[in-house]
Amino acid sequence: MTDPQPVILGELPSLSKLYVNAAATAARRRVLGASTGKTRLPAVSHEVRNIRAEVENLTAYQHLVGETASDILPAGFVHALAFPVSMSVMNRDDFPLPLLGMIHLKNRVEQRVPIQFTESLDIRSWAANLAGHRAGTQLDIVAEVRSTSSGDLLWRGVSTYLAKGVFLPGIDKAGNPNGASMAGDFSPPDPTALWQLGLETGRSYATVSGDFNPIHLSVLSAKALGLRGSIAHGMYLASRALADVGAVKSESFAWDVAFEAPVFLPARVALDIATVQGNSGTWERSTYVAWNPRTGRRHFVGSVSHLP
Amino acid sequence: MAAADVTAGATREATTTPQATRSAVIVGGNRIPFARTGGAYVKSSNQDMLTAALEGLVARFGLQDERIGEVAAGAVLKHSRDFNLTREAVLGSALSPETPAYDLQQACATGLETVIGLSNKIKLGQIDSAIAGGVDSASDAPIAVSEGLREILLDLNRAKTPVQKLKIIGRIRPKDLAPDAPNTGEPRTGLSMGEHQALTTAQWKIAREAQDELAFNSHRNLAAAYERGFFDDLITPYRGLSRDSNLRADTTLEKLATLKPVFGKNLGSEATMTAGNSTPLTDGASTVLLATEEWADSHGLPKLATVLDGEAAAVDFVHGKDGLLMAPVFAVPRLLARHGLTFEDIDFFEIHEAFAGTVLSTLAAWEDEEFGRTRLGLDGALGKVDRAKLNVNGSSLAAGHPFAATGGRIVASLAKMLHEKGAVDGRPARGLISVCAAGGQGVVAILEAA
Repeated sequence: MTDPQPVILGELPSLSKLYVNAAATAARRRVLGASTGKTRLPAVSHEVRNIRAEVENLTAYQHLVGETASDILPAGFVHALAFPVSMSVMNRDDFPLPLLGMIHLKNRVEQRVPIQFTESLDIRSWAANLAGHRAGTQLDIVAEVRSTSSGDLLWRGVSTYLAKGVFLPGIDKAGNPNGASMAGDFSPPDPTALWQLGLETGRSYATVSGDFNPIHLSVLSAKALGLRGSIAHGMYLASRALADVGAVKSESFAWDVAFEAPVFLPARVALDIATVQGNSGTWERSTYVAWNPRTGRRHFVGSVSHLP
Repeated sequence: MAAADVTAGATREATTTPQATRSAVIVGGNRIPFARTGGAYVKSSNQDMLTAALEGLVARFGLQDERIGEVAAGAVLKHSRDFNLTREAVLGSALSPETPAYDLQQACATGLETVIGLSNKIKLGQIDSAIAGGVDSASDAPIAVSEGLREILLDLNRAKTPVQKLKIIGRIRPKDLAPDAPNTGEPRTGLSMGEHQALTTAQWKIAREAQDELAFNSHRNLAAAYERGFFDDLITPYRGLSRDSNLRADTTLEKLATLKPVFGKNLGSEATMTAGNSTPLTDGASTVLLATEEWADSHGLPKLATVLDGEAAAVDFVHGKDGLLMAPVFAVPRLLARHGLTFEDIDFFEIHEAFAGTVLSTLAAWEDEEFGRTRLGLDGALGKVDRAKLNVNGSSLAAGHPFAATGGRIVASLAKMLHEKGAVDGRPARGLISVCAAGGQGVVAILEAA
C-alpha cells in the first residue's frame, strides 16, 4: 500500500474505550455473523501530533522493565506511546480482522535517534501487508514517530499480528510460517539470567503501558477469552530483554523479537543473552533467547543490532 | 626550546624522587566466633557484634581511651538506620570517642578492602594506627516494606492536609503489606550466587568428589587449629559461643557424599553443589589492628606481618563472559606481576571458600594453559597452587561466612601464620589472600611476615 491518507486525531485515543468498543464489536459480530465482510486494509493512517511522554509514567515504566531512569525514552516505551494510535486503526469499522484475540507474532523497532523525554512527538500508524498464514491471516501494524519540530523520523515500529482461524476470501493460506516454526529443535543453553514473574506482572505492565488487554490482567479475565490463565505482555518480555542487553548497544539500533510459546503467569523464565562483536572488537549485535526452565519450551527469540 | 627541555627534565626528576614509604603492619586481630544463622546471635544486631569484636580487640591490645587514626568497617546486609555503623560501634567501645570512623561496602570483599584502604593511609603517612573490620548478620537482616507501601508512605510524609493523608492511606492494598526480604540473587541476572557458581563449576568440570574433599579438609584443618590453640589470641567468646558453630569436626567424606545437590538443579548439567560444599548463611564480626612499626613499638605491641599490596578486579559476568565469582583469577596475576612474584614465592594461599566450586574453578583457571594465554595475557598457565599450602587452618566452608567479616578473619589468621613461619629461604614468609564478591568483583592482597 502506498502512502495511506492521514486522519488526524485530536488526542491520543483511550485504550480502555478501544478495548470496550472492540469487545462490543466482537459480540455484535458473534450475533450477526463472523465475517466483517471486508477483505482489504483501510487505506488511511491515523496520526496524533504534539505528544509528550509523561515523566512519572516514564519512570514507572523504566523501573518495571529494569531500565535505569534516564532522560532517554526506552524503545519499548515509545511502542507503548504509539500503541493507542495503532489500536485505533485496528478498531476502525472497515478493519477486516477482529481485534480481540489477535496474536502478536513478532515485532521490529528501529530506534534511529535517541528521544529525550521532553521532545514533542508526532505519531502515525497504519496497517499493511495483509497476508495468509498457515493458521489464519496476518498483517503488519506500522507506527512511525517523528519529531514535531523537525519532522525527522526518530523511531519506527512494525508489529506483526495473526488473526488465528480467520481466513479471508482472496488471500492465500500461504505456507509462509514467519519465524515461529523452529521451536521444535531447541535445546536450552546455560542461562545467563532467570526472571521470576509474579501473577501481578500483567497488571503492572498494563498500568505503565496502558495496554489493559484482559488476557494479561487476571486468570478470570483471561479465561473469559478462552485462555487457561493470564499471560505476560509480549512487549513487556521483549522490553526486559532489551534492558538486559543494557548500555552496550549503540545509540541507533534495531530491536527484533519473535514470540513463540506464551508465558503463563506466574512463571520462571530462563534467558541467554550473547554479544556478537565485529572485527574491530566493537559491539555489533546482542542476541537473546528465553525459555521455560522446567519444560524447555522456547518463549521468544530476538536481537538488538547496530543500525548504521 | 632549551628552556622547555629543562623544565620537563626538572619535572621528571621531581616525580621520580623516591618517597620514603612506610610499612603498614598487622599488630593482631580479634573476632567473635561465627554462628550459623538463627543460632547464638539470632537477636544480635550488626552494631552489637561489631562492638563485641572491637571490645575484644581493645582488651587484647590495651587500647582503652586510645585515639586510633581511623576505624573502617562495613556490613553487606545493612539496615538504613546503620548509616554510621562503624562510628556507632566505636562510640559504644572503650576506644577514645575522638576516634574517627567510616563505613565501607564492597560485598564480600568489604573486610579485605578496609584492610587495604587503611594500610594505604598508614603508608601515605596520613594515620599511624587503624582498625579494619566487618560484620554481617543474616539472622537480623533488614526487611523492607514493599515498593507499593514504601511509595505510599513517602507520599504520606509529603502530604500536608488530613484529607490528603486519608486519600493516600486509602491507596494501601493488602498486597502492599507483604514485606520485601533481602536475597542473594544478583540484581542484573536474577540468578542466586549459588546458581551462578553452579554454572562456573560445570564450565570448569569440577567433580562433586573434589568439592566434598575441599570441604572436608576445611573442617579438618579448622578443627585441628582450634585443638592446638591457634585461635586463642584471635577470638573472643560471645553469647556462649567459643568456636564457630558451623564447624563439624567429626564430618567425613562419606557423610558429605550423602548430601543432595542444592544449586544448579535446573541448569542442564549434573548438579554437584550441596549444603556441605557451599557456605551457610552466618552471623559474625571481625577486626584487625594495623599500625606503623613505630606505633606498634612505642605501644609495646607485636608486629605479625606487613600488608605488602592489594589489587581489585571485576569480570563481565552479566551475559556469561566469565563466572560471577571469578574476578580474583584476574586480580592475582596482576598483583604478582607488580611485585615480580610467582606462586613459588608464596607460602600460604588463603582462597576464600564461598563455595568449594569457587576455589576449585579458580585453581583450574590458573592451571589452564589456554586460559593463561588468551585471558590472562601470559605465556601459558599462571601456575599450580600447592594444595599443602592452601587454607591450612580451614576457611569459610568450615568457619562460616558472615560476608563482610570474612576479610578480617583471613587477614588476622594469615598474619599470625606468617609470624609463626618467620623467614623462608632468607626472605620473609609470604601469604596470598583472594576473596570473591557479588557483582563479579574480587579483591586480593599479599602479606609478608614482619
